[in-house]
Amino acid sequence: MALGKNKWHDRYPELGTGPIPVEPYVSPEYFEQERARVFRKTWLNIGRVEQIPQPGDYFVKDLTICNTSILVVRGKDGEVHAFHNMCSHRGNQLVWDTKGRCQTFSCKFHGWTYALDGSLRYITDEHNFFGLKKETLGMTPVAVGTWEGFIFINVDPDPQQTLPEYLGEGLRTSIKGYPFEDLSTNCFSWHTDVQANWKVAKDAFQEVYHISTLHRRIIGDVYASKANPYANALNFTLYPPHGRVSLSANPDRKLTGVESIVQGFGSTVLQQNNSASEKLPAGVNPTGYPHWSFDGLALFPNCLIYVSKGTYLTHIFWPITENLTRWEIRTYSPQAETLSGRFSQEYGKVSFRDTLLEDASTLERTQTMLRSGAKKEIVLQDEELLIRQHHKVTESFLNASKGSQPNV
Amino acid sequence: MSERQLPEGFQDLEPYLEWSLATDRERSIKRQTSPMTKITAFYHAIVPRMDEILAHLEQYPLEQVPADAQSLFYLTLSLAKIAPAVEMYGEPVPEGLDALRLENIDIYPTRG
Repeated sequence: MALGKNKWHDRYPELGTGPIPVEPYVSPEYFEQERARVFRKTWLNIGRVEQIPQPGDYFVKDLTICNTSILVVRGKDGEVHAFHNMCSHRGNQLVWDTKGRCQTFSCKFHGWTYALDGSLRYITDEHNFFGLKKETLGMTPVAVGTWEGFIFINVDPDPQQTLPEYLGEGLRTSIKGYPFEDLSTNCFSWHTDVQANWKVAKDAFQEVYHISTLHRRIIGDVYASKANPYANALNFTLYPPHGRVSLSANPDRKLTGVESIVQGFGSTVLQQNNSASEKLPAGVNPTGYPHWSFDGLALFPNCLIYVSKGTYLTHIFWPITENLTRWEIRTYSPQAETLSGRFSQEYGKVSFRDTLLEDASTLERTQTMLRSGAKKEIVLQDEELLIRQHHKVTESFLNASKGSQPNV
Repeated sequence: MSERQLPEGFQDLEPYLEWSLATDRERSIKRQTSPMTKITAFYHAIVPRMDEILAHLEQYPLEQVPADAQSLFYLTLSLAKIAPAVEMYGEPVPEGLDALRLENIDIYPTRG
């Protein structure tokens, strides 16, 4: 492993090395620009295809940041469809629960009923209306696409890029062949609302510089080693507006008592099973490092995907206000087939969750102090490259003139 | 207690049945509200038995777990819950967000 000084910023000099303004973390005006120019214009990861395996399966995603609620449903055609979750009569929210299965969607207000393809099928007391054209009164569709089983929507009525264009060929190729589908049979998911700007939350999970300090007690020695005391990355590759990082593991780490018990029952979130026999695709662990731990994909604007052997996880950060964020964490792994396997997964889940609680300890404290106005700028080091990239990319989205592509 | 609550051979763990909790939330609360002395006592009672416990639990298909084995299984989930407290923190919970603020969400379809 070639540990270097400033080597990633040397590779991406266009990002600069200067301080980062605090304003984007605290300003309501900046937040409104992010809403209009970023979240209402980009493809957003809102779930997995496994959430809706059968025709009629649906889930609802409230997207405060896009001022809407999205209904995602698998149609009779087997395809994934997305709509604004809204009745065409007087605008009531059509579906009130978060997930389910049905044949049709019926509005609780006046009983208007829609098919799975969004078309309006039934109007209560229809003859008392005035020349309605039913075929023009379906649910309003939302652009939707899937990639590696992840469902993305774009609330722009006329998206400037397709989903594959937005993700880019480089990024898609780099992870191609990773067994997302096989690993997605079992999902542990949490969410919480934190009183912090969504970028404060995202920043905390797209650098590992903090691990040797904040997480010293639980995972201080999982990534950091004698040879690499600050767990410097093996690789950063940027696929603007997205980026990737690859991280090493500590080959000399001693297992704790319960960890040595759970070893042998499959991968857990933190302690991947290095004996797992499955071969990883060429783009994963791009440096081919023998003591690799995981690769992280930072999908602009608000999604992080961390892939490892036998398990992967995602963080998604949904802005609510400039000071409030809905933070969603999901871990994916194969179904455990025995109670021992379940015990092993439970251990992985708990220890991962403990690290999340530690991570979260900084978020609200950071936001409180950023709001104080005491400092106008923050500073970043080389390993915080993805945070810097995020600011650079956002700037280009906010500066892009209407109708033109942001130059990222 | 006339009825056997844990499988034959695991009666020595019956003093720790208060850790046999079915939900993650109950286990989180138990961890947060127990003093380290109680957490450590449970840890040292169950860890040496884990090989036998897992061997016992392995014999049941997931859909056919008898009640006494289920209680034993819940004990192992509590071990998973408190292991970091004993092995890594030396205190019940890490300095951080209240664990109960991280709400469990089941996003996959529930099939009856």
